[in-house]
Amino acid sequence: MIEEQLAVFIGSGLRLAVPLIFAGAGEMLSERAGVLNLSLDGMMLTSAFTAAAASWATGSPMAGLAAGVIAAVSVAYVQAILSVTLRANQLVVGIGFNILALGATTFLYREIFGPLSRDAIPGFTQLNWSWLTSIPVIGPALSHQTWLAYLAIFMVGVTWALLKYTSFGLAVRAVGEDPRSADKAGINVARTRYLGVLYAGALAGLGGAFLSIADSNTFTENMTKGAGYLAITAVIFGGWTPWRTLGACLLFGFATALQFLVPALQLDVPVALLLLLPYLLALIAIAGFVGKSRQPAALTIPFARGAS
Amino acid sequence: MSKSEFAVKSSSLSWPDGLKGAIPLQVVVPVVATIGALLIGLLIIAITGGSVSEAVEAFWDGMAGSSFNIGSSLNRAISLGLVGLGFIFANRANLTNVGGEGQIAIGGMFATAMALHGAGSLPFGLAFIVPLFVGALAGGCWGALAGVLKAKRNTNEVISTLLLSFIALPLVYWSVESFHLLRKPISDVSSLPESPEIPDATKLPLLFPADGSSPLHIGLPLAIVAVIVVWFVLRHTALGLKLRAVGLNEMASRRAGLRASWLIILAMGVSGALGGLGGAIMILGQQYYLTSDFSSGYGFDGLVVGLLSRGSAVGVVIGALLFGFLRSGSINMEITAHIPSAVVLICQGLIVIAIAGSAILMNRKPNS
Repeated sequence: MIEEQLAVFIGSGLRLAVPLIFAGAGEMLSERAGVLNLSLDGMMLTSAFTAAAASWATGSPMAGLAAGVIAAVSVAYVQAILSVTLRANQLVVGIGFNILALGATTFLYREIFGPLSRDAIPGFTQLNWSWLTSIPVIGPALSHQTWLAYLAIFMVGVTWALLKYTSFGLAVRAVGEDPRSADKAGINVARTRYLGVLYAGALAGLGGAFLSIADSNTFTENMTKGAGYLAITAVIFGGWTPWRTLGACLLFGFATALQFLVPALQLDVPVALLLLLPYLLALIAIAGFVGKSRQPAALTIPFARGAS
Repeated sequence: MSKSEFAVKSSSLSWPDGLKGAIPLQVVVPVVATIGALLIGLLIIAITGGSVSEAVEAFWDGMAGSSFNIGSSLNRAISLGLVGLGFIFANRANLTNVGGEGQIAIGGMFATAMALHGAGSLPFGLAFIVPLFVGALAGGCWGALAGVLKAKRNTNEVISTLLLSFIALPLVYWSVESFHLLRKPISDVSSLPESPEIPDATKLPLLFPADGSSPLHIGLPLAIVAVIVVWFVLRHTALGLKLRAVGLNEMASRRAGLRASWLIILAMGVSGALGGLGGAIMILGQQYYLTSDFSSGYGFDGLVVGLLSRGSAVGVVIGALLFGFLRSGSINMEITAHIPSAVVLICQGLIVIAIAGSAILMNRKPNS
């Protein structure tokens, strides 16, 4: 009994962490280049809706995934124009996009699916590898996942390698720390930042699509429920490094999953308190009570050639 | 900002000479953005097959079709205005308080608790004054928390106020879910998770009780006083100047002998208190009982009002009226014309993005 519940807890913790892992990895790279995308939540929501609509229309979750990523990258592109080229306040622009995405997806959802429709949307199925399921606790938890969960971990590795071993990664780090020197060294600051934001958009798109076509096979209004903000916090918690960000995402995922475990164990803890737990952890984390780390020096600071 | 950047910006403005300085861009941009966004909203309704005339009619009716609707719109504007005022107060110190939603929620929750437990039997109007005060105090503490984190731990206040909102909302949910907190006993006809109605004495007095249909309450003069006080403090007192100094250069203001940490906490505290007061007024003024989602959307609306105003108290009044009436209109549009009120969210998002994106045109960037 306990074993079964533990398996469900670990499985749902991982499942809840997947969108955070995707979005967190992308956002981490973008922030290393100096651009904070508070619009991450809006990108994810846009992708969740577009993926659901495309999957529903074509019957193919793969087409849905592609459409979701394209939609999120489009949002990211506009956000990049505003925050890199037009040097707009990144935080304000981000909130604007989140309001816009919430309004647009809610409106389109009601227009397309009707207010009461709960049609199942074609989605990815769980792997359910039999060789894995036989392992107690961990087995079912790991195999009751879609392939996207594994892609998420893989993308953390990709992001790490990109940052550490490629010239693009070097440019990203240079641009995020000291754009002026990077510019003098011949690095195209704007281009690097655009790519960083687009990368964040693509991964936020994967994370958002996961919500609607892998996790729940439905779209609900405001279904990200602040996942984007949590991913940004995970980046801060993770000290702007890939693997620690992954750890923070997993922590938030498991903290959220507690709301399934605690009632099952018949512990009398109000659900509401479990709902706020990830955010409380996040607040404690960004307040710097858990390890101090330094943010990229040029984070949220726009760069203009010739200006000081 | 450097001189060279300033020069580039000034020359990029293409006003005809005669008009130069007549209408500042700070006014033109929000007006154009608002009108443009509303036109896009109408376009969206038209494209998706809605009847524009029906939508506009329902919208207008919801905003100002009756004295009840006008009163409701103004009541909404009161709370939005207070949140907006809070935003510009913190913004004077270059702090961006985006946690209005949580501050409203906490303020409303504590005001309800006070109204239900203790304030009902107080004399001389204290029955509603005390809950209002408690609501403002609670919202102020919630905001000051972000201020403390900023001053002592250098925590970005945008992230912390957002997270505090995500923490506040489950707390309100908890308070109306638990019978030993604020939830009304289940013996009633309904068993919804909400608080019982607050005692009559704790409800805000109506401005036109003789009318009978107008819900407009004394929150209106209260909000007007708040506008004048905030305007005066920010523009004409040493405190306003100190806040500005800390916002411009914290290090330099410390060297000049200002207590920067205290000023940051104060700015966030006052900002949160205005939001908390807005939440308390929502409950005591028109809703009369607490629900878990009573603050939904008001935080973002208030934030947009603050952003639109570009730091001016008069701007807050205009923005609050605009969004108070917009929200009333959109609710009625959804009910009678069956057009999702999310259209108004789209418009709001566009307005924020347009204003932030055009900041480069203006000499002074908003809160950066």
